[in-house]
Amino acid sequence: MDNRPTPGKITLNIILGLLIVAAFAISWRVTDVDFVKLAKNLPNGKDIILAFLTPDFFTHDKTTITIETPFPIPCGSAPEAEIPLSGPRLVPSIMCADPKVKFILEGFNMAPNSDVVVRWNMPDGRVLTAVQATTDAKGHFTSEVESRPIAAAVNGVAAKLAVETLTSIGNLKPSQAAHDVLAAMFVTFFMALLSTTFATIIAAPLSFLAASNVTKRGPVGTTIYYISRSVFNLLRSYDPLVMATIFGFWLSFGSFPGFLALTVVTIASLGKLFSEAVEGIDSGPLEALQATGANRFQVVVYGIIPQVVPNFISFIIYHWDINIRISTIIGFVGGGGIGYYLSQKINLLNYHQAGTAIWAIVIVVWAMDFLSSEVRKRLT
Amino acid sequence: MNKKHSPVLAGILSTFIPGLGQFYAGLRYRGVAVLLGMLFTSGIVAWYGKPIWYLAPVLIWLWNIWDAICAARQGRTFSVLLPILFGFVAMFGIGLAVVGVDFSKADINRAIAIMRPMFHPDFIQKRAESNQAWVEVMVPCLPGRSVSGINEENGKKVTITPTCADIGEALTITASGFWPNTDANLWWEDPSGSVKMIGPGEAAMLVAHTDGSGTLTASFKVPTTATIAVPDVTQSPPHRVYLEQTRLLGGFELSYVGGRVLQGALQTIGMALMATALAILLAIPVSFLAARNLMSGNPFTYAIYFIVRTLLNILRSIEPLIIAIVFVVIVGLGPFAGVLALAVHSVAALAKLYSEVIEGIDPGPIEAIRATGANWVQVVRYAVIPQIVPPFTAFTIYRWDINVRSATIIGFVGGGGIGFLLIELIRINNFRGVGALFITIAVIVMLLDYFSAKIRERLV
Amino acid sequence: MLKIENLTKVYPNGTVALKNVSFEVPDGEFLVVIGLSGSGKSTLLRCINRLIEPTEGKVYWDKTDITAASPTELLHIRQHIGMVFQQFNLVRRSSVMTNVLSGRLGYANPWLSLLNIWPEEEKRRAMQALERVGIPDKAYSRADTLSGGQQQRVGIARALMQEPKFILADEPVASLDPVLSHSILQYLEQLNKEGITVICSLHFLDLVHRYATRVVGLKDGLKVFEGTATEIDRAKFKEIYGEEAQEVRATTV
Repeated sequence: MDNRPTPGKITLNIILGLLIVAAFAISWRVTDVDFVKLAKNLPNGKDIILAFLTPDFFTHDKTTITIETPFPIPCGSAPEAEIPLSGPRLVPSIMCADPKVKFILEGFNMAPNSDVVVRWNMPDGRVLTAVQATTDAKGHFTSEVESRPIAAAVNGVAAKLAVETLTSIGNLKPSQAAHDVLAAMFVTFFMALLSTTFATIIAAPLSFLAASNVTKRGPVGTTIYYISRSVFNLLRSYDPLVMATIFGFWLSFGSFPGFLALTVVTIASLGKLFSEAVEGIDSGPLEALQATGANRFQVVVYGIIPQVVPNFISFIIYHWDINIRISTIIGFVGGGGIGYYLSQKINLLNYHQAGTAIWAIVIVVWAMDFLSSEVRKRLT
Repeated sequence: MNKKHSPVLAGILSTFIPGLGQFYAGLRYRGVAVLLGMLFTSGIVAWYGKPIWYLAPVLIWLWNIWDAICAARQGRTFSVLLPILFGFVAMFGIGLAVVGVDFSKADINRAIAIMRPMFHPDFIQKRAESNQAWVEVMVPCLPGRSVSGINEENGKKVTITPTCADIGEALTITASGFWPNTDANLWWEDPSGSVKMIGPGEAAMLVAHTDGSGTLTASFKVPTTATIAVPDVTQSPPHRVYLEQTRLLGGFELSYVGGRVLQGALQTIGMALMATALAILLAIPVSFLAARNLMSGNPFTYAIYFIVRTLLNILRSIEPLIIAIVFVVIVGLGPFAGVLALAVHSVAALAKLYSEVIEGIDPGPIEAIRATGANWVQVVRYAVIPQIVPPFTAFTIYRWDINVRSATIIGFVGGGGIGFLLIELIRINNFRGVGALFITIAVIVMLLDYFSAKIRERLV
Repeated sequence: MLKIENLTKVYPNGTVALKNVSFEVPDGEFLVVIGLSGSGKSTLLRCINRLIEPTEGKVYWDKTDITAASPTELLHIRQHIGMVFQQFNLVRRSSVMTNVLSGRLGYANPWLSLLNIWPEEEKRRAMQALERVGIPDKAYSRADTLSGGQQQRVGIARALMQEPKFILADEPVASLDPVLSHSILQYLEQLNKEGITVICSLHFLDLVHRYATRVVGLKDGLKVFEGTATEIDRAKFKEIYGEEAQEVRATTV
């Protein structure tokens, strides 16, 4: 072949280059690309990404406890408190005081980011609010408290500084989000399983109609061949999510329309792959079977099916993998499953729970990807 | 089988731990597969909880014992078709219930009602021009609040009598200066902007015909559904009566929705193009870090290789649609968020493919070029680049193809493009627009499919 | 007795594969067809059982006009004509047993055969056929695990299952080495001696001399030679194969 540049080729290349440049220029404009904005707003994404990276998988049982610290007023009227060194606790800066003395009260290991009310629990059972405070992210607060005359010790029993807070008890256990994500993941799994199977059952026979070596004979056969091929190509061109919008509108939200949309697109996609597998078979055995006087069905069963089954299985597993992927997001357009859970949590700005769903998706997709490629390797 | 295995022992082993008997009989893979299959089926059945389906794991368990005995006795095994069948039946029973498959819900009439307008896509319309005017009228009559009942503009004059009326009362409208001998549509618009029909039964347009001098007169009643601004009737703004004439100019033009569809399509293709371009720029350097043959030299580079590979695998498992959520938060709604999401996913996908190409480089030509005394740059130019450019290009075009498909849906989470429009059209029940959009998607994807296949055929 | 009259085949793309070929094959003959690749040998054999539809001409088998047979009749005729192929044409992923049994499809119950269910009688016959070609131990192996020579034996066993009146062999040894060639052709010769007519296309002159009772030569679709094996000498061979052709000699056993 002559590869020397000729004036014609050079012009062609220049035109092609200009076209590509023009395509990029137009794309740049219509897609509002703005890297300055990206750089400037990047901090906006910190919270959501952090939340995604800290998914809500586990939780402790929570219970409300009351922490009490006896505080003798005046000093010596009652025994002083012994302050524990860890756990939720109230720590006054002095262990006792005369009336109307101001001191600093610190709380440790309370529920984080919450409002707490510190009270005086008096010996006679009456209650008086001492101070209100808000804890920080570590569950710590500091406030100034005054020793009130009314909270004086009675008969050697001191009034107690008391606060109520939530605390974790017991062992780590899966959170509500983990439960919900697992349940949604099962729906997703079954959506993929059912759609792949239904699609296989329908696509396997139909694919023979779109195989030129089987069908393309005579005017009727040729027409059927072209029609089935076009239908496969047309339906294949839609993303299952696009289909799901229509099915969702038709059947209202849920995993059923998601399943149907996936099935329709998978039929088209598998149908095309299957028909190509049928077209790729060795025609020798078919000829041999015809020569023995076998009828058409016998030729299909003895000649074609044994040759295409391994390819078919490989395609089915490949599609099962794809369908798992898609069914994780089909819920965004009303298809049910984990995608629906995820989109709800995103809309409610519950990013930790959304993170749980995302990690679950990553794990499942990854596992399926690995499994399917291993199985397909074995098959060939 | 040379070794003798005890069928009884195999049976007992499999009774307690499914698959152990097969394992003992020397069928390792089978044993592991039986155990995993058993665990999987029992797990699903236990999660679902309906007792009837426990039959499946029990049957598989029985089969497994029998299979272990057969395996130990003669080394020839039983068909696996049976347990697979049990497992599948249980999975499908549960699956159908969990997914809520219920074909009786599939209302065909509703499907037809949705599909019919899709077959009359709103893409092009007959070219036409219109001639519109309006006049204000008060409903109901209130002291101190009145309108002139006359509106004149651009040589058109519309008069209404009386200038105020209550619901159900008759009004007469006179208009002049319109196109002669042409039908005019008349409708009512209340202060909230909602349109009411004033034709027969308030179910059709009122149509009047102009005479030779462009004048028309029509009578109608104030529509019963005309909203009166409550609670304070006295503050109600005036209602309007519109007249509009339309005449064909011949030929066709792009309809409004059609124009938006094409715009969305352009945006979608543009998004895919930008995302692919960005992905190439990032994926090429990353792919060298993810190539085992380049990075396995020492523990440090191997660690980098391992980390990069893991990150790429995680990113690849996250659909662009989910990544787009993050970018919508960062840069706001619009196509740019979509571009970034597609780009991130594509970097992961392309870098993996590129690195596999680099790993698969044939060392022969490198050795040969080096033997000619070429320097490092020359070796890269003449031995490495010729090997990697065609597969890189093929993978990139393939990725672009995928990105166009993904870009059609990225709008569902606010990423711009044709998906954004699709959601909007469905929300306002404009299925003629949806039809136009579906045609556009099919044309784009099929054309792209065709050309990318052609180009890749040439490259490989 | 097989009678071929004025057989012509023109392919849709205009290639003329056979021009007016006529000859007769009396029962019990071992007829060898020789000619260059593309001279029409394969087309000729396939026109006999109408795997390829002839454009013109007739093929008579005894009194039956094969070329005029209806589709159902044709299936019936094919049941009695065994065929062996250059590329063996086995279903590579099926077992040897299934491949051999598939020769019996025309006789089998059409419904049961679709489920690959066969009567014991047929399985026994298939084993016998495999024993005749010397590979009964391979019955349950997958066909693609066998060597070329073994695969061709499976091909012959498949043809035997048909209880054929005659066998069409389309270059049965062209993909095999010389030693295997002889062993395969000896099986065919054996069958021929048992009364089955064999029509076989071959490439090598010494094989022709060794096995043929009669020879038909084709060149560019025309019959250029018909006679006994001894009548064909080197000069004739050159004439058929063209000047440049070299006679490749297969090792004699």
